[in-house]
Amino acid sequence: MTHAAATVDQMRPPYPAERGLDVYNTKLGMWVFLASEVMFFAALIGTYIILRFGAPGEWARPGIVLNIKITAFNTFLLICSSVSMVKAYAAIQDGDPKKMRFWLLLTILGGATFVGIQVYEYIHLIEHGFVPSGVREGSELAELVAKGTLPAATMGLYGSTFFTMTGFHGFHVTCGVISMTYLYLTKALPGKYTKQSYGGIETVGLYWHFVDLVWIILFTIVYLI
Amino acid sequence: METAHKRPNYILIWVYLAVLTAAELGLAFELPISRNWKLILLLFLAVWKAALVGLFFMHLKFERWNLRIMAVIPLPLAVIFILAGMSEHIW
Amino acid sequence: MTTVAATSHPVPAHHDDRSFIRKYVFSTDHKIIGIQFLFVSLFFLLVGGLLAMQMRWQLAFPGKPMPGGGVLPETMAPGGVILPEYYIQLVTMHGTFMVFFAIMPLLVGVYANFLIPLKIGTHDMAFPRINMWSFWSFFAAGFVMLSSLFVPDGAARAGWTMYAPLSARHDYSGASLGQELWSVSIILVGLSSILGSLNYITTIINNRAPGMTWFRMPLSVWSLFITAILGLLALPVLSGAAIMLLFDQIIGTHFFDPAAGGQALLWQHLFWFFGHPEVYILILPAMGMVSDIIANGSRKPIFGYHSMVFAIVAIAFLGWIVWGHHMFVSGMNPTLGSSFMVSTLVIAVPSAVKTFNWMGTMWRGNLKFTVPMLNAIAFVAMFVIGGLSGIFMAATPVDMFIHDTYFIVAHLHYVLFGGSLFALFAAIPYWYPKMFGRLMHEGWGKVHFWLTFLFYNLTFFPMHILGMGGHMRRIYDPTQYDFLKPYQPMNEFISISAFLLFATQIIFFVNFWWSLKKGKPAGLNPWQDNGLEWTLPSPAPHGNWERVPTVYRGPYEFSSPQVPEDYLPQTRKLPGDREPAAVSAAH
Repeated sequence: MTHAAATVDQMRPPYPAERGLDVYNTKLGMWVFLASEVMFFAALIGTYIILRFGAPGEWARPGIVLNIKITAFNTFLLICSSVSMVKAYAAIQDGDPKKMRFWLLLTILGGATFVGIQVYEYIHLIEHGFVPSGVREGSELAELVAKGTLPAATMGLYGSTFFTMTGFHGFHVTCGVISMTYLYLTKALPGKYTKQSYGGIETVGLYWHFVDLVWIILFTIVYLI
Repeated sequence: METAHKRPNYILIWVYLAVLTAAELGLAFELPISRNWKLILLLFLAVWKAALVGLFFMHLKFERWNLRIMAVIPLPLAVIFILAGMSEHIW
Repeated sequence: MTTVAATSHPVPAHHDDRSFIRKYVFSTDHKIIGIQFLFVSLFFLLVGGLLAMQMRWQLAFPGKPMPGGGVLPETMAPGGVILPEYYIQLVTMHGTFMVFFAIMPLLVGVYANFLIPLKIGTHDMAFPRINMWSFWSFFAAGFVMLSSLFVPDGAARAGWTMYAPLSARHDYSGASLGQELWSVSIILVGLSSILGSLNYITTIINNRAPGMTWFRMPLSVWSLFITAILGLLALPVLSGAAIMLLFDQIIGTHFFDPAAGGQALLWQHLFWFFGHPEVYILILPAMGMVSDIIANGSRKPIFGYHSMVFAIVAIAFLGWIVWGHHMFVSGMNPTLGSSFMVSTLVIAVPSAVKTFNWMGTMWRGNLKFTVPMLNAIAFVAMFVIGGLSGIFMAATPVDMFIHDTYFIVAHLHYVLFGGSLFALFAAIPYWYPKMFGRLMHEGWGKVHFWLTFLFYNLTFFPMHILGMGGHMRRIYDPTQYDFLKPYQPMNEFISISAFLLFATQIIFFVNFWWSLKKGKPAGLNPWQDNGLEWTLPSPAPHGNWERVPTVYRGPYEFSSPQVPEDYLPQTRKLPGDREPAAVSAAH
């Protein structure tokens, strides 16, 4: 089905203006913001790649420190929440606010669960001795280092990069969950989104998909390589 | 505005994403191939998944060319930075 | 399908019933936000200047008690004698305040906010509340940075470039809380900048008045647009780097600590990958505003408008691939270094194009030497000197010798002071009437200009000579080296010129504050300029226009044969003008 120009024009400001990018302000603003976020994650992820590439020794093998099974499930969960988000967007485009609310709620729950699982994973890791500075003395993981299963020279870098990248990603997911909850309570529930005006859903959707996209990259290069 | 287009089949994309994720897991832990090949293939799969999300969920496939350019402009900058940083370790 | 508000008589807005707090403190009006940035940044400019004065005292009279130094704590300057630990804080904080809290917000925070909606013909920014947050996060950042001067161990002290691991480890630098506050402040300043950029970009793309096509925008707006893109993409890298530095400082990560596998050069790459686009952020808006002022002061169209636009874009493009020229002596990959040398030499070309175009604009123009015009012409001359010294250091073999000497200090001050600050001395009086409804005093403005120009050159030109002689940067006591002793009279000369330069700025500050209440009331268009903002009352009202104006031509139609006056505003409709093509509007 086509997406009529009229619905988008409704979301442009009411005064006349040059054509610009034919994209209403909030959506354009979100794309511009996402460009800056790409650079932010590029700094963090680039640092990880550069540090790992130039590391003074072997890097820990995947799966020993981090729990792949739980994180794989978490990845799947985030992807599902991305699907529910775009279903919410499609629903309001079709003029079905009830369906939109349903899918939006699912998205919020999926996102919140993702954060919850991440927090659980962090607590678990810290208990076992994996901290931002590397491996805590006297912990379970310290024994693995002593045995040689984990490389002593790079565990500090591993900790630094892991917690920073996943921590900031988790922070972004949390901000997304909070924003979506806010929009759900103040706009979606009272029926303020209509077939003619659904900019907020599309805009927050873009943010949410971006957060999913970053995780897709992170999961691969942090957990699987 | 988005060009008039048929809505993508979001569920189908979800299936693709699930399959690619499973492929990544299998590749990372089951397949007995060299580390370098694993790295390249895993990165390829990750980028493919990211592209699916970007093109279909974020509707970049259907947006104007100038919005698409805006979305991808940071990527070459990121690549330049990473390559420069890595080049410190190859001489 | 679409409507156009065809009005050749721009109608200003006139209804404003907000409370005092909403009007002047937590305002979402882009003009008020711009003025807020102006007051706060001028304060930080003063702070940066005071820090420099102390540095110059120590360099001219090493180890001697400084007049007024008694107010400083004993741990920093016992008996008024500046200690090395304090000196390096002065160096660091002078650079930090000047770059992040004076020049950048003065050029971007003030003029992007104030000018963009006015010059493109819209009511306000696309996201007024985000704009407000941009100012307040800047304010918070400034407060944090200022407070770092007063913490027990003192402020950050690894230079404004904050090289790691010196900056990352307390046992290396001797400072703890001060360093951490620097990182926190920079993260906040990055946030402010990103939020601002987001607004400027969206507003310029989407909210231009009917008829304000891309190539009818003034060069000030073009440069602010491109600057916003640079800021949008560069500041996040700085924020990321500052976050990693903060983590190294407080939670024990090892990003930049070689002892634990980290990489010192990684900090440099991250910082300068941001840092080079940053210096273009610091010069492009200045160039843009100078273009507007020179065209106005010459009563001629800007020479080569399109090439000016392409030059701005080229500078912005190339600016991403030259950062390594700050790292030639760092031990970086030499092949990489060579590639940076080539790209750095190339980037001189678009700047040269702009310089020739400014000269072409003035050539055989009907020159009006007002205060803004004088400062704008000085900008061109000083920027050329700064740019030429840049060519020297672009060549890696030369930079091996002059890196981290006063030759570099001379270069950066020629482009940042001779360039950006003179442009601000042009822009501030130029748009002052639109901000405050009055003109700054022209006579005192000229006195300020000539004295500043004189003392500025006396201060900074000799630094080229110092640098060639091997006088290094950031040094506490040059007389400790025999080979520098012959240069000590030059250091004294520079310092005295600097004190006089600083004192001269009193004229500017007094003029600024006095004119707020006592300046000559300005009419709508005191400079007889063509931009949209000059069709509004001075000061411009909240909401700018009742109905957005329509634009019929570009901004530089001076001395046009179509009209008897020597200027032709963008919104004036002449009998032969066509209405703009149908534009989008909500229906």
